[in-house]
Amino acid sequence: MIELRGVHKAFAGRPVLVDLDLRCDRGEVLFIIGTSGVGKSVTIKHLVGLLRVDAGEIWLDGRRIDALPERAFHAIRRRVAMVFQGATLFDSMTLAENVALPLRKHGRMRAAAALADARRRLDEVGLADFVDRYPAELSDGMRKRGAIARALTLDPEVVLFDEPTTGLDPINARRVDRLIRELADRRGVTAIVVSHDLASIFAIADRIAFLYQGGVRACGTPAEIRGSDDPVVQQFIQGRASGPMETPGF
Amino acid sequence: MIFRRSLTQLGGRVMAMARDVGGVFVLTMEVLRALIPPRLDGRETVRNLYKMGNRSVPIVVLTALFVGGLMVIQFAAFVKQFGARALVGWGTGYAVFREVGPILIGLMFSGRVGANNTAELATMTVTEQVDGLQALAIDPIRYLVVPRVVAMMIMLVALTVIGDAVALIGTMIMSYVVLDIHPYTVWYSLVDNLGPSDFLHGISKSLVFGAAIALSSCYFGLTVRGGAVGVGRAVNAAVVGAAVSICFLDFLMTYLTA
Repeated sequence: MIELRGVHKAFAGRPVLVDLDLRCDRGEVLFIIGTSGVGKSVTIKHLVGLLRVDAGEIWLDGRRIDALPERAFHAIRRRVAMVFQGATLFDSMTLAENVALPLRKHGRMRAAAALADARRRLDEVGLADFVDRYPAELSDGMRKRGAIARALTLDPEVVLFDEPTTGLDPINARRVDRLIRELADRRGVTAIVVSHDLASIFAIADRIAFLYQGGVRACGTPAEIRGSDDPVVQQFIQGRASGPMETPGF
Repeated sequence: MIFRRSLTQLGGRVMAMARDVGGVFVLTMEVLRALIPPRLDGRETVRNLYKMGNRSVPIVVLTALFVGGLMVIQFAAFVKQFGARALVGWGTGYAVFREVGPILIGLMFSGRVGANNTAELATMTVTEQVDGLQALAIDPIRYLVVPRVVAMMIMLVALTVIGDAVALIGTMIMSYVVLDIHPYTVWYSLVDNLGPSDFLHGISKSLVFGAAIALSSCYFGLTVRGGAVGVGRAVNAAVVGAAVSICFLDFLMTYLTA
């Protein structure tokens, strides 16, 4: 369904992605893991056109999308939603207004109907009592769940999650995990999740891609990754400070 | 060595300035394209009209009142010396309508509303809210920039009309206090010697200044880099850019219509 072929990306001359190949099938939960700064978030931002490849190709359902103009990406962004690490709810709007915004803009709903629908959707993620609060008045976990509700308003086929459990307490982190798993199981939504959270990764992933030095070092099911004989992969999943892994800045 | 370094720095600044001027031009073209056909987000436009206009009224009224009075105090000695009491209304009206009103209120608007707009957009940019908007397939130019440009143009014109009127009230008050000239005398001097073109000249400047402030503040807000420090730099650049634009455009419009 989604395929990256030989993708290169550099910032200010520093290569981040080098000949990256990655594939994600319909309905699966794919985790992209790796150390900080390895290019996980950069990888998924390419899928919605927030970043453009320096070289290589990106394919969505048999259609090459990496060279499309900005306007053509609007149609793709309705199919491929993204939940950012910082939730990115708009400060000037209440939670319900945030969720109602894409409904008003794309669903062509009137403001009152969009707000009513937004309240229903927020109820589904357990935020019914907080719909009139502003993002600054919510906890990190609530903001993340609100951002997920907003991303789902257009009924996307694919949702990209950028570190959805980072900064959350274990209970809220597992709630978000459950939400992601249910999306895939009940609605058939494809989920690509960037994460460091090993508990999440091994609890809900169908497949895991381990990024290292700009490319995919290992890719497989949680069992295959656990059983990998690659010492770099083992160092990461066991969280060992010392080992063969080269981490920039240390 | 020092010469070479200075030359390199100068070249860098010229390049940066050229990039900013080009960036504002590109943004202007994108805004024009987004306005054809004109599809404004009503809620966002109304929110900006209220925020930018309504809350600016007290400071504009206060400043215009003092400026109108100050003008009389400044030329009171000459009015007495030459007995030009009948020209007070014409002199202040001419200056207020054509120059002082649009420039003064434009600069105040830039400092209050433009700076605030840059800070808001820059914060949205560094916290990825603008990326979030794009990821929702919502065009930031249509949703964020166009309503702000329209609101700033409308509100700067409205504030200039209010400021002009209040400045003339200030003139009448101080003419009576300092020169013992009756307000009716000031009023008839004004309406007998000035035409609609004098008033509209200033209004057309406000319209252009409003667009310049909006485009400058939106450009620097959306192109910010570097977190909180970057937001401060963007606000500074936007205010300086708007002030320079106002002075340059004022000169250009005055020269072309002289």
